[in-house]
Amino acid sequence: MIETRQLVERARRGDAGAFERLVRAFYRAAYAAALARTGNPMDAEDVVQESFVKALERLDECDPDRFGAWLLTIVRNRAHNMREHERVRAGDPLETMAAAGPDRTDRAVEQHELGAALTKALATLPDVQREIVLLHDLEGWKHREIAKSLGISEVMARQHLFQARRTLRVALGGPEMKEYLHG
Amino acid sequence: MDDDRVDLRPLDPTRDADRFARTVGRIMAGAAPGLVRRRARVTPIGTVVRWWRPTLALAAALTLAAVGVLVEVQDTAVATEPQTAGVAEALGIPTAMSPWLTSEGPPTAAQVFQALQEAQ
Repeated sequence: MIETRQLVERARRGDAGAFERLVRAFYRAAYAAALARTGNPMDAEDVVQESFVKALERLDECDPDRFGAWLLTIVRNRAHNMREHERVRAGDPLETMAAAGPDRTDRAVEQHELGAALTKALATLPDVQREIVLLHDLEGWKHREIAKSLGISEVMARQHLFQARRTLRVALGGPEMKEYLHG
Repeated sequence: MDDDRVDLRPLDPTRDADRFARTVGRIMAGAAPGLVRRRARVTPIGTVVRWWRPTLALAAALTLAAVGVLVEVQDTAVATEPQTAGVAEALGIPTAMSPWLTSEGPPTAAQVFQALQEAQ
């Protein structure tokens, strides 16, 4: 936390190195929040990129000790705006996933397919559950941090995570997926 | 509950290091103008540039206030002068002597002589 505070203060003075460290440190959390709202990896990337630039513009408004939660609020707002915009543009989110090019290895293709299946399964979750499972299982946030970021109780965060995982397992119900999920 | 986690690593945007590096590069490129502006703000020239507008606005406000006070004082002075003359006139004091009412020292002999001559 102290380091984040220092990085924010340095970034406020225009230190590019400090800002890049913030980007690297908070990218996955921001991506998780964006993916939870957009349901589309490419859109989530766009949202995260725009959000970091916007965050830099408004960095003076941020409490350096709460940078992560503050950033995620920006991400959610931008993702929400994008989703509203996208409503007029029908499309299958999975088609916009990074395409598996001819030179990609089997491993990469497998990862791509797993990613696509997970994205599809995540799409079956309510926004809040999607964000919680992504922040917890992808980014490694603690329930306390998630609860604070979303303005809910820790108990509620745990319940949402439990529900989300159960729904995901049902959605990823194929035998290959079971093998993958249980390693 | 935590042992039951779903492996979401295929969705990890930092998993492909090259791709992530490009993504960070794009963010940094987008943030570059903002960072330049922020750096400029902390240099002495940047500080002057940042403060000259509010300083100018403050100077203009002070000037307006000063002008207002001067006008007020002037109006008061103008209003006071005839009042002194009016009082002197009511008391039957010759007009030439009325400035003595507001002067700090006594009149000189020459002034008294001149005032008496004018009164005749």
